[in-house]
Amino acid sequence: MAVEIEHATEHHPAHAPPPPRRGLRRLTGAGWLRVLWVMPLSFGLATLLVIGARAAMGFDPLWELQVLIVAWTVVVPLGFLAALGGFDYWAYWISGKPTRPEDHSGHGARTWKDYFRVNTDHKVIGIQYLVTTIFFFGAAGLMAMFMRAELARPGMQYVDTNTFNGLFSVHASLMIFLFIIPAFAGLGNYVIPLMLGAPDMAFPRLNALSFWLLPIAGLIMMSSYLVPDGGAFAAGWTNYVPLAVQQPDGNLMFQMGVQWAGASSIMTALNFLVTIITMRAPGMSFWRMPLLVWANFATSTLVVLATPFVAGSQFFIMFDRVLHTNFFNPEMGGDVIAYQHIFWFYSHPAVYIMMLPGFGIASEVISVFARKPIFGYRLMALSLMAILILGFSVWAHHMFVSGMQSWIRIPMMVTTLVIAVPTGIKVFSWLATLWEGRIRFATPMLFALGFVTMFVIGGLSGIYLGSVPVDIHASDTYFVVAHIHYVLFGGSLFTIFAGIYYWFPKMTGRMYDERLGKIHFWLTFVGFNVTFFPMHWVGLQGMPRRVADYAPEFGNWNLVISIASFGLGASTLVFLYNMIVSWRAGAPAGPNPWRALTLEWQVSSPPPIFNFHEIPQVVGSPYEYGVRGARHAVLNGDRAAVEEREKVEA
Amino acid sequence: MASVAHAHDHPPAAHQSSRVDSRLLGIYFFIASEVMLFGSFFSAYFFARVVVGAEGGWPPEGFELPVYLALLNTIILVTSSFTMHWALQAVKRGNRSGLVAGLTLTFLLGLTFLLIQAREYTRLGFAPYDNAFGSTFYGLTGLHGAHVFVGLNLLLYALIRSLRGHFGPEPEKHLGVELPGIYWHFVDVMWIIVYVTVYVI
Ligand SMILES: [Cu+2]
Repeated sequence: MAVEIEHATEHHPAHAPPPPRRGLRRLTGAGWLRVLWVMPLSFGLATLLVIGARAAMGFDPLWELQVLIVAWTVVVPLGFLAALGGFDYWAYWISGKPTRPEDHSGHGARTWKDYFRVNTDHKVIGIQYLVTTIFFFGAAGLMAMFMRAELARPGMQYVDTNTFNGLFSVHASLMIFLFIIPAFAGLGNYVIPLMLGAPDMAFPRLNALSFWLLPIAGLIMMSSYLVPDGGAFAAGWTNYVPLAVQQPDGNLMFQMGVQWAGASSIMTALNFLVTIITMRAPGMSFWRMPLLVWANFATSTLVVLATPFVAGSQFFIMFDRVLHTNFFNPEMGGDVIAYQHIFWFYSHPAVYIMMLPGFGIASEVISVFARKPIFGYRLMALSLMAILILGFSVWAHHMFVSGMQSWIRIPMMVTTLVIAVPTGIKVFSWLATLWEGRIRFATPMLFALGFVTMFVIGGLSGIYLGSVPVDIHASDTYFVVAHIHYVLFGGSLFTIFAGIYYWFPKMTGRMYDERLGKIHFWLTFVGFNVTFFPMHWVGLQGMPRRVADYAPEFGNWNLVISIASFGLGASTLVFLYNMIVSWRAGAPAGPNPWRALTLEWQVSSPPPIFNFHEIPQVVGSPYEYGVRGARHAVLNGDRAAVEEREKVEA
Repeated sequence: MASVAHAHDHPPAAHQSSRVDSRLLGIYFFIASEVMLFGSFFSAYFFARVVVGAEGGWPPEGFELPVYLALLNTIILVTSSFTMHWALQAVKRGNRSGLVAGLTLTFLLGLTFLLIQAREYTRLGFAPYDNAFGSTFYGLTGLHGAHVFVGLNLLLYALIRSLRGHFGPEPEKHLGVELPGIYWHFVDVMWIIVYVTVYVI
């Protein structure tokens, strides 16, 4: 990507990156050469540490794979991060050396190689996030293809039951922790500072570090297939006890992977919150922020407050496995169901962590492509906050059949149904925004509209599942699989696609191929519905989820589902082709191809290296489409002109 | 907008839209997250203690906790909060020896706390795997101990830098003392809650 080459030459010599090291010294400078020898070294160190400690304490056997896995998945990633240079600044600070003030030589990307370095530019980090998460999306999608191949006919075909369990567990874990959550974080990373009129995030170095935790988490989860005796973790992404404790050693890879991914998302959320609170441009009050920023504000609060609970839940399983503690062991006074409470206290809010940023994207896209102001802007922002608060009060609706105290059921059912109110407010506001709009069906808009319709279906089946009597019937069937995919695929993934297409011209400076974009949308939309809608029916007829084999009576529908799912998988190829080819050779997009008002569209595409030559002055709402003379902000030279105009109006 | 040849090696200064310093705000949010992590450990504790319960009340029969030794430890840790405050006040007045003395005292008090806790662990007579009581006890106190360890590290770094004269009375120049201080106060307050829950009630 040709990012602002003219700036590279402008760098004052004092700010230029340090001269490249020569000879053996190249091995000690931050970067991949240092990674190459530090990683094996830290691997050996962790191994020696465990064996040494076990020998000193007289444990037998010395080679205990579980303990080694824990040591490896802690020490090796830390070694990797240090070798890559993720801690360099803090290392200087700690040791009392004078810290080099940020010289911005790490800003911007001049070649593709800059994307493989610790880079503090939020725009580079945003793209690093998106490309990485799409890689894991592909990997997790392939696992789904394997599952559908096995499920195409009743009986066992290609994989054994344990491999199948591993497939759906890793599929879900990657999709949730390595795709949906961080893909939204990537889009937010790129767009939020621009939308706020800020030159970067509040903590650029923390931002860089939190990106590099992601590939670590993903590779830990994927490499669980390599663990001897049992392979990948296979207790589902929910990893319920006591199954999780009885599982083979691969289960630890889930627990450790979640810790890294969770740390990454907490760090990003802290960064978002502080950036949004402290770095808004003058005039950008909370009530003038674009809804995407509001959505990420609510999401980040959820991440900061809820993610520690999933960390805790996986710590406890790890302790129960490795240290033989009894957190969840009922024979020794532990509580099995406590795990589900702690887990879902995070994982229900996680549903909103995976939805709210999508709500924000949908609001941006629908307003721009309908050429109308958002209907009920303040209510849209407030309903986000209502979902944030209510989201903490519904977790036990996942546990109606768990055997928990039955008195919890009804209150949780009521709160679950109440949460449909703020969600409904949002849906009706999108519809009212569309009403009498001059709608342009470009690809981002198609995905946004697809999201609204599919999310309504997912929301409705959610109301069914939220009611205790229906849930008891439909629990652990394909009805649940249908529901979660209507919410997370029809909801989150459609908005991620909408966001990628919408901001693609901004990120690359080039236009994607509109025709291929539309083909991608229709293939996805049809493929998605044919894949997942029949799952409602087979589910209600009693086909259990998470099984490799099923009763022959479900055979025909499963064949239809499998064929459709292969088409759905193939539609991703259209997307990838479009992205790669358009990135290299698309038509120049210009600064504002969508004629949008928000700040990121008021600068060049891709934006200047520090976003703005001068911090803009915000003067009005971001959504006054179709309102004559309305402005969201004034930039650079325009400032005097607008002050003049305001005086005249006054 | 045409990217004219601006000579901007530096980003334009961001507009400060909040009275709170971004780094202070960051550590407050971080502490909120930490509180929730403790919350998950407290949840596990209360599930074992209240929902399941144990024969013979809590602690279960045969388990005993050294309440008074832990009280001594509590007093030590609370004192260290005051010395931390003293160190911060000293640097705000430009008193470097006061800063060094305050940080050193805080560090030593914290270290004493951790050593007493380690000694307590070896003499308790039960292990993390002995019962859900043992698991949750070691879970909560161990999580807190890990936080004390992290806090001690932060104090040590601040001490190193204060010995080299990196801090001064201007707000921007003593943030490196203020932030570890906030974290340290959080660790202290958390201990009081852990102590009251685990040892007293
Ligand atoms: Cu839920």
